[in-house]
Amino acid sequence: MNTLLHVRNLKTYFNTEAGIVKAVDGVSYHLKEGETLGLVGESGCGKSVSALSILRLIPNPPGKIMDGEVIFEGRDLLKMSEDEIQEIRGNRIAMVFQEPMTSLNPVLTIGLQIGEVLELHRYLPREEAKEEVRRLLKMVGIPDAERRIDDYPHQFSGGMRQRVMIAMALSCNPKLLIADEPTTAVDVTIQAQLLEIIKELTARLGTAVILITHNLGVVARYVNRMAVMYAGRIVESGPAVTVYHHPRHPYTIGLLGSVPRLDQPRKERLIPIEGQPPNLLHLPPGCSFYPRCAHRFTRCAGERPELRNVGTEHLVACFADF
Amino acid sequence: MEEIVKKEEPRELSQLREVFRRLSKRITALIGLIIVIIFLVSAILAPLLSPHDPIEHSLVHKLANPSWDYPLGRDELGRCILSRIIYGARISLLIGVMVISIGVLVGVPLGVISAYYGGKVDFIVQRFVDTMLAFPGILLALTLIAMLGVGLANVMIAVGVSTIPIYARLARSSVLAIKARQFVEASKSIGASNSRIILRHLIPNSLSPIIVQSTLHMATAILWAAGLGFLGLGVNPPTPEWGAMLNGGRLYIRVASHVATFPGLMIFITVLGFNLLGDGLRDALDPRLKT
Repeated sequence: MNTLLHVRNLKTYFNTEAGIVKAVDGVSYHLKEGETLGLVGESGCGKSVSALSILRLIPNPPGKIMDGEVIFEGRDLLKMSEDEIQEIRGNRIAMVFQEPMTSLNPVLTIGLQIGEVLELHRYLPREEAKEEVRRLLKMVGIPDAERRIDDYPHQFSGGMRQRVMIAMALSCNPKLLIADEPTTAVDVTIQAQLLEIIKELTARLGTAVILITHNLGVVARYVNRMAVMYAGRIVESGPAVTVYHHPRHPYTIGLLGSVPRLDQPRKERLIPIEGQPPNLLHLPPGCSFYPRCAHRFTRCAGERPELRNVGTEHLVACFADF
Repeated sequence: MEEIVKKEEPRELSQLREVFRRLSKRITALIGLIIVIIFLVSAILAPLLSPHDPIEHSLVHKLANPSWDYPLGRDELGRCILSRIIYGARISLLIGVMVISIGVLVGVPLGVISAYYGGKVDFIVQRFVDTMLAFPGILLALTLIAMLGVGLANVMIAVGVSTIPIYARLARSSVLAIKARQFVEASKSIGASNSRIILRHLIPNSLSPIIVQSTLHMATAILWAAGLGFLGLGVNPPTPEWGAMLNGGRLYIRVASHVATFPGLMIFITVLGFNLLGDGLRDALDPRLKT
């Protein structure tokens, strides 16, 4: 399969009063056509920022993409003009955000908002656009789509709004869908529905997905490959099954150990990772995970481990072998 | 999987109806609304409602007391005060609408652009606004009239310009709050241009405080226009204008108090009406009440 997206050495920094925050500090990954990649990590590890950087949606100031390449379908998105990137946004690459309650404009009807995407990229005449919006609403399973097209966002529940967002995102058959914690803000029962919808529709349309989440259960079920981020860097990446069952980085091991699992005998207690994520303003000189690592040794304090191959497509940034 | 779908009546103008429902719950707001409607109707239908020609004078009957034919009496030139008040509402309405149009059409875009782009643009626009705010409004208006000359159009421009900074500030603050919300980022992510985000998403969402402010400004504009008319800086005689009528009656306040009283009362009631309505709208449009 062809490579659809290639992110190389992406660096996004934020200029704050306290100093420069290196939210994303040299991240590289790639995505094949139709593939689903899970971007996993704790809050504040840079997973959202790295995804927003792809579409250049980082507010500047204070944020700035300092370095790197984002090659999408053979072109570097970071070097495009504003007009060119607008042509990509919503059309070739679409996004679903975390907070369905605030992602829709409260004063416009649902129909108008989905219609806006069609108007921007598909140039559909009014009547056809309306027909298409109905089809899209039905596609994501909104009951009574015919009538709800003229409803305002506040008349929808959180789960339904997220369906609207998905309909909007998929309306132009994008090649890539970036889903930024799409299920974090909704009930557990709705989470599964939304993920099933995303999975089924993107499979049907051949859309690749970057699924950003901190929910490891979601990753195991819905992604082909996963990348684990810590303090603005990828510390481990590989096929989801491999990483899930044979994690090699102490952080990934810790992350998996701290999640209750139903598929294994119940342990006495969960093993949390000691300490707090590091302050991105003052990263340790060596491995960022050093202060919390259970397996650290002297070399880790002064030298930063680079990603190295430890198996088929399995990369890990750690000096130790487990 | 199925979620309960709320059944509702046809929802065209449903938001407008909702606002009206909240407005009508408050008696003061309702009184304000009624006063404003009477004002608007008399301004629009002045030729049909006024019993006499507002300019036709008759020196024989000057300063005549109220009677059946002339319910509010006659002024210093024997003209029908009621007719002049009804026609005067037209001038007041015209001034109010023009003043607010100037303030909103210039001030709101300035404020929105200032807030949306931020940085240097914001700095420059806001220093300009600060400079304008440094002058007391009426002084600024008087200065502008001194520069432009006396006349109705110049009064409207002068008062209008002095309200620009208020709208610029108001629009800026509400856009700053809205800009941070995710749907703005979401519309960027679907490829909307800056101008589209501003026109389609930011301005409609920042309208409620601007509507409230313009209603309240209607009152101020009428008051200022009357004040400038009183000083003889407004319309030319014999055009009926409330401020000028007040000034005309001032000399006869001891012998024929009705000549000055009725125009003064009209100014008072109209301003009160717009203020009550504005206060009511502020509560009715309160975003915290939105479901």
